[in-house]
Amino acid sequence: MIDRTVATNPRSTAEVAALAYDSDLRPPPFVDELVQLWRYRDLVLLLTGNILKNRYKRSLLGILWMLLNPLLQTIVLAIAFGALFQSALPHYPIYLLSGLLAWNFVTQTTQYAMGVMAGGGGLLKRIYIPRATYIVAVVGNGLVNSLVSIVPLLLVMIVFQHPLGASWAFLPFSLLILTAFTLGLALLLSTASVFFTDSIDIYQIVVQAGFFLTPIMYPPSVLPGPLNDWLLLNPFYLLIELFRTPIYANAVPDAGLIASATALALATLLTGWTVFTRRVDQLAYRL
Amino acid sequence: MIQIDNVTVRFRIPHERIPTFQEYAIRWLKRRGVRYADFNALNDISFSVEQGETIGIIGPNGAGKSTLLKVIARVLRPTRGRLRLRGRVAPLLELGAGFDYEMTGRENVFLNGAVLGFSRKDIARRLDRIVDFSGIGDFIDAPVRTYSSGMVARLGFAVATDIRPEVLIIDEVLAVGDAEFQQKSAARIREFRGSGSTILVVSHSPASIKALCDRALWLEHGAIRAIGPADAVVDQYAPGKPVR
Ligand SMILES: Nc1ncnc2c1ncn2[C@@H]1O[C@H](COP(=O)(O)OP(=O)(O)O)[C@@H](O)[C@H]1O
Ligand SMILES: [Mg+2]
Repeated sequence: MIDRTVATNPRSTAEVAALAYDSDLRPPPFVDELVQLWRYRDLVLLLTGNILKNRYKRSLLGILWMLLNPLLQTIVLAIAFGALFQSALPHYPIYLLSGLLAWNFVTQTTQYAMGVMAGGGGLLKRIYIPRATYIVAVVGNGLVNSLVSIVPLLLVMIVFQHPLGASWAFLPFSLLILTAFTLGLALLLSTASVFFTDSIDIYQIVVQAGFFLTPIMYPPSVLPGPLNDWLLLNPFYLLIELFRTPIYANAVPDAGLIASATALALATLLTGWTVFTRRVDQLAYRL
Repeated sequence: MIQIDNVTVRFRIPHERIPTFQEYAIRWLKRRGVRYADFNALNDISFSVEQGETIGIIGPNGAGKSTLLKVIARVLRPTRGRLRLRGRVAPLLELGAGFDYEMTGRENVFLNGAVLGFSRKDIARRLDRIVDFSGIGDFIDAPVRTYSSGMVARLGFAVATDIRPEVLIIDEVLAVGDAEFQQKSAARIREFRGSGSTILVVSHSPASIKALCDRALWLEHGAIRAIGPADAVVDQYAPGKPVR
């Protein structure tokens, strides 16, 4: 076999000089990680796609399973609780499914991200890639899953002849806020999972408790007095309502809810990014 | 040019068990901190490599050779000290790091290329040349899990070295693969050397260090035992016998 000649470097000398690296002159990690993530954006996209592929390629039902899963969840819960909430929540499966969608997005994505980091962070200790690459890819994958899950939701809406109104135009904003919150939480929890090995188990318990303490499968009125008073302090409730109101109530959420959910998501993202990037150099030492 | 000034890499090894929240809580209640042993994998190392120079790194297992290369590849930031270098670094620390074994060779060229910081477009443009050099042939569309370790190494090497890097770091990865691959990779490295790339290579073969390198660096227990002309340092380290 004949060797092809190796290409000489196409970069100009100016570009090469720009690659000069000095560990003492690095920008603060808060900024540097962002810059690197942008440089490696093709990797983030590729990994997002690969997670999707790997998750569904092997099973025979493939993408069908992805659509079926929330439907089955809804059917089981609707059979169990449908009659109970029939008067308070007409078209109960739609209330349930839209709530589940938001809940699953946040919790499944954060749990997955923690697992990826705790399980060695993939490549992080073998080669340089931006440290947040996997976390962002996992959140991107969660977002795609949620978008796909809107299909079964639409099916249920057709079955129940639930009106689909102009309020749906608000949903992209809801998803944006949900994504920002999820990314922030995923960054925080993944950092924790590297430093404390039992944080995955602890979070698992929190998620289980959260599922029952948050009005996902029941109306808020069911909660006993004190819990109901504190309901607005439940971040999951705010985010679920932001996503569910346009679908179930056919209305744009009220301004107070929008403002508090947005503030919550931005604060979480900022905190997550700060905590993560402050520990970023230790990750390769600890993984 | 690579300039390493007083670089220390310190691992913190928990004395007792893996840290958990529970452990921390118990210890905090007992007013006892978690105890760690500090371990310097590299201890206050300074040296520099001129542009275009090839330097071999030798030393027993656990000396800190891989750690040093990881610092230069920016996988590890030094705990203390300063690293300066110029140009793109091609890390050959583990060939095929980041390969997804369920995916085809072709898909992995894109994945590995992205891991190395290349854009998708860039890889697409150079795909044929990479596949060609790897010699994988028709297997390029088979899942990588069906590859031998030598084939994985070929493909990883082909992606990482398709464009001449200013700095090439090699960690014992070229020992895998058949004679043809060894020749091909050696030829490419010589070519880089001839065009002014700076090369750092960890190898356990005194002969290949002598053949390839201008200078050698002898590491032991995270410190420099000797640095100088390759022949002299290698003979000092392994007088007359190949060392494992
Ligand atoms: N992540 C880590 N945590 C703790 N100790 C480590 C870690 N990585 C390497 N070491 C230790 O650092 C020392 C140097 O390792 P390494 O650089 O891989 O040696 P070499 O490549 O010369 O065989 C070894 O004693 C190794 O156990
Ligand atoms: Mg080693």
